[in-house]
Amino acid sequence: MKDTSPEILILGGGVAGMSAALALSHRDILVHLVEKTDRLGGNAASWACMATEVCQNCGACLSQEMADLIKKTASITTHLNTEIKTLERSDQGMTAVLSGGQTIFASKAIIATGFSPFDAARIPSYHSDASERIVTTAELNTLIREDRLSDMLGDSPKIAFLQCVGSRDRKAGRDYCSQVCCKVSMRHAKKLRHLMPDADISLFYMDLQIMGKEARSAARDLAGEISLIQGVPAEIAAQKNTGKLTMVTEDPATLARKSMDFDLVVLSVGMVPPEKSQETFETLGMSPNPWGFFNTDTADPGPDVVVAGCAKSPKDILGARQEGQIAAATVLKALNLTDDSNTGIAVLGDGPDAAAIAATVSAQGYPSYLFGRGEDLAPGIEDLSAARMLSVDGTVGNFSIFHEINGRKTTLNCGAIISAPAPETLAHTKSVQGTVSLANYAKMPPADTPDNAVILLDYFGPETKAAARQALTAAKAARDAGKTVTIVMNKMLVHGPTGQQLYDRARKAGVCFLRYGDPEDVTITSGDKGFVITMQETTLPGHTLAVDAKALVVPDAIAASPMFSELSRLLHLGLDMEGFMQPANVRHRLVQSQRSGIFFAGPCHDDIDADDLNLEIQAILAALETGPLENGGNVSINEKKCAKCLTCYRVCPHGAIILNEKSRPQIESAACFACQACVSNCPAYAIESSGMANAELADQAEKGRTLVLACERSAALAAGTVSDGLPDNTNLVSIPCACRISTDMILKALINGAQRVIISGCHDGNCRSGEGPAIAAESVARVAHLPGMEKGRVSWQPAAANEPVLFSRIVSTP
Amino acid sequence: MTTLHMNKDSELARFLNKLGKGDNIAECLTCGACNSRCTWFDGQGGPMPRQMVRMAALGLDDQLIKSGMLWDCLICNRCTEVCPMGITMDVVVRKARSLAGADDQIPVDVKKGIENRLELGDVNGLTKEDFVETVEWVSEEFVDEVEDDGAEIPYDRAGSKFLYLPNPRELGINLLHLTAMAKLFYATGETWTMSSSHTDVTNWGYFVGKDDIAQRMALMVVEPAEALNIETLVLSECGHGYHVLKHILPQVIGREPKFTVMSIPELVVEYAKKGVLKFDPSVHPYKIAYHDPCNIARKSGGYDAPRQLLSLCCDGVVELNPSREDGVCCGGGGGILQDSTSKEKRMITGRPKADQMKATGLAHIATACLSCHRQLGEISTHFELGMKVDTVASLASACLILNK
Repeated sequence: MKDTSPEILILGGGVAGMSAALALSHRDILVHLVEKTDRLGGNAASWACMATEVCQNCGACLSQEMADLIKKTASITTHLNTEIKTLERSDQGMTAVLSGGQTIFASKAIIATGFSPFDAARIPSYHSDASERIVTTAELNTLIREDRLSDMLGDSPKIAFLQCVGSRDRKAGRDYCSQVCCKVSMRHAKKLRHLMPDADISLFYMDLQIMGKEARSAARDLAGEISLIQGVPAEIAAQKNTGKLTMVTEDPATLARKSMDFDLVVLSVGMVPPEKSQETFETLGMSPNPWGFFNTDTADPGPDVVVAGCAKSPKDILGARQEGQIAAATVLKALNLTDDSNTGIAVLGDGPDAAAIAATVSAQGYPSYLFGRGEDLAPGIEDLSAARMLSVDGTVGNFSIFHEINGRKTTLNCGAIISAPAPETLAHTKSVQGTVSLANYAKMPPADTPDNAVILLDYFGPETKAAARQALTAAKAARDAGKTVTIVMNKMLVHGPTGQQLYDRARKAGVCFLRYGDPEDVTITSGDKGFVITMQETTLPGHTLAVDAKALVVPDAIAASPMFSELSRLLHLGLDMEGFMQPANVRHRLVQSQRSGIFFAGPCHDDIDADDLNLEIQAILAALETGPLENGGNVSINEKKCAKCLTCYRVCPHGAIILNEKSRPQIESAACFACQACVSNCPAYAIESSGMANAELADQAEKGRTLVLACERSAALAAGTVSDGLPDNTNLVSIPCACRISTDMILKALINGAQRVIISGCHDGNCRSGEGPAIAAESVARVAHLPGMEKGRVSWQPAAANEPVLFSRIVSTP
Repeated sequence: MTTLHMNKDSELARFLNKLGKGDNIAECLTCGACNSRCTWFDGQGGPMPRQMVRMAALGLDDQLIKSGMLWDCLICNRCTEVCPMGITMDVVVRKARSLAGADDQIPVDVKKGIENRLELGDVNGLTKEDFVETVEWVSEEFVDEVEDDGAEIPYDRAGSKFLYLPNPRELGINLLHLTAMAKLFYATGETWTMSSSHTDVTNWGYFVGKDDIAQRMALMVVEPAEALNIETLVLSECGHGYHVLKHILPQVIGREPKFTVMSIPELVVEYAKKGVLKFDPSVHPYKIAYHDPCNIARKSGGYDAPRQLLSLCCDGVVELNPSREDGVCCGGGGGILQDSTSKEKRMITGRPKADQMKATGLAHIATACLSCHRQLGEISTHFELGMKVDTVASLASACLILNK
């Protein structure tokens, strides 16, 4: 056995399974990826692209790309249409017999069997079989993918989204939040408005689960675009004569019920374990919890098994991808295959999160350096709180942080950097005096908390998962100690496996919950005896409700800190739309960046609670231990041609070009993402790649034909799945990234006689190298604006990997 | 706009919050599912289910009473069916109706009926003497009907297998119905009796939410039945009577009764399955729709027997859409039908039912509750549906094949 490579069994070829397989593929390991359907990709492979003018960060396209990569990876054996028939365990591992008859001996197994969308027919009152216009989110994805919506609905349909179908329902045994559906519906609503600008959309929700930075900006954008209505109808009546779908709702304006007619109702179904997964788990000797997941203490996966992705708990695509990578690292660690040459990790930022990250990293055996103030530092962390950072150079495995301590300039060398500065805490007490901070309230012994306390959420700042959890936990404890507690909120975030149960228990214990629609519906007055909160309670329209409070408890509101932009400058990495760290790009989310070896963790880059932070640290270490998902490209600088103009050094989006000891630019393979922006931009044509040079690319053009230059991560993948094939007069050329495009390349193609030149790549915001869409669009615009250039002869048209229908239309439309 | 002050220690909040899982209304998720399910649908006026629960949970007792929603609610529990927390609207509303402050909202007819029942044993004020006289007279008619001198409508006969508990209407305006039921008992060949001590399947204490009255009324049935030492109490077709006396009786009287309880359709189906009772469906050569009384179906799980019996007596049963768990109330539930001033309101609450009936395109509909029966009849006339409304047991009786 010892002479052979270890073999790993991965069950489930969805996002988590594929991510685990790819993460293991850099080691001398044989991976068996067993998938019960006839294709890789899982549920995500059938989702539609949600991009409007810009990427909406769902990550569905990643599934296609990963499936494509796996096909090209020799160490991964994919078994399609296959299930596990039997499994026997021994001291050395497990012997699995596959349904095809093959026997596999595996040291470890990763279970990534995924989820199924909840079957809406299980809730009879929706009458989902009564009309083809009552669809689930999964069915809506198909309609969008196949471009059938406008034929079905016309230009200005009335559309309703109903949230929490099969989620947060104790009676149905599903007392958990599926975590993703609110986000999914918000994206869908945006997409539908993009496709049909006159669509009238209502989204009915219980508590809009605005979790994560992507959701927050989506909710903000949607606020004026669609009707967001608290309260979810439970019954749909399909009108036989008109085809309309009628639902009765409460009309706050008239204080009565009213019926509303829709042309399409989307049931936002939750996530459940796949049908028959219980049998699979039994075969494998695993026991899930009563929900069928492995996300609580009552579940036991058994020995030598790691569960990842939605098989473990409902999560989004990026979360599943991250968990696949963590599972791979866990397996490597269990097999003692992790890299021993742990290079140091620098953690940047003040505050408890950065200190906790440094402590965890140190405990995992990495030399740990903390550039920031933290209390009670764990031993082993080098305290660099006194240092002022001047610049950061280098690439993954070999960063140099130049800094100054007490007037002395010095350099720290480390292998990786985690950026984790604390956000600003807003001083909201300016407007109301005498409030208690929720953090302090939560620290009090419950019996000592003030009686008649009101915890006010979502009022002085945006909702956070941490505040919601803290409020629920502290209020329940105070209630159990006999106190009267009221939580006044716009929404209750019920994140994580037990968030809903915690909320259920708090209500059952008698914590009172009041809901407002808009902060303007709440007024706070304070006097000698405490506070009076006067509000328009959402469930009691037409009345004003007054609540007396001896104490008013409010969470700390957080905001972007000046440190974020400071670090952003030092690290040459952008900020997101709200000024927090890390743009919401799915190629690098959740914790990675455009630069290999630089990571983000904690509230500096997302709405992160303690559980999330733990997962983030695991993900960062997993990324370091398993290596990058893709190898750098074979790009090198021909020194004979190089004029040392340093254009490449400036344009590299990944910081992969350094200046070597001879002050010449040098490409660091480990940090290179092979976008080839340097190749197309080098004025001396000195950068050479194994792919085609500019002129060679242009030479692919032929007289009278259409040349399509398609990004290999998006448009080229879409081209590969166009059902009827591409038009005969098309020359399709795969390019590494839209940023490979340059004006001269397009011009040469036209000179070579191309009838049309189409550049197609990732949607704006989705480019792995950041600037691809902008570079391609600009190059196209320069050529298109030349005198005499026919309209439409040169164009930039984004298409994601999961948009074959769109791609086909782009290429076929003259 | 009034300013309300929350009072988590109100009488109603205290009571409702100490109830167990499902009835603890503090657990309300405010998801709003209930609002979409009210039998009033988009009709003018009527209750908002979530507002009722929230007012009760927040201790806004006075506001809830003032809202006028309590007696508009048909306590049909359509909303309860979809509640993810299992909150039972019926319990919430009846408890709120029982508050002293809500006493003056009890419809006059319901008040009078309760007085009659408690004093005389019958909501319509029928005395024991009236009962004996009526039953003996109907019994003589019955002998002629079945052409058997040995036939009779017995009363107060101890040790009988069955005790029949009629609807007050069967002893007043609808005597023929009693004859029809007697025919079914007669055909089973079993011993049966009625009781002169209690004449009534109804329990209006349930409507007003007053547990003591509901208990007294239930005991007025249970104790004489036990005294007669019968095996099975057979209920006339009555929705809330079925719910109280069959489904929640131990809760209401605080103990198990010493007899079993079934409805007349259930009894007849049982004897039909045994082959004892036989029917001639050609008497009713048409398809018939069936209306689920909320109290029997959704609130007590009695979905099947009436459908099975109808299928033996007609040319097939057609389901209303929706039906069963999602069935729409006739619009006369919760005590509203018992209020003689409610006709206008009942034609609002009855419109969805009328739409359903019309959509069947049929000329016949049956139900297993005499209250629903009356409301459906009024709907049929008001909305000019031209549908004939029958009760399941009377249809069965009409096509019963008597072995002579």
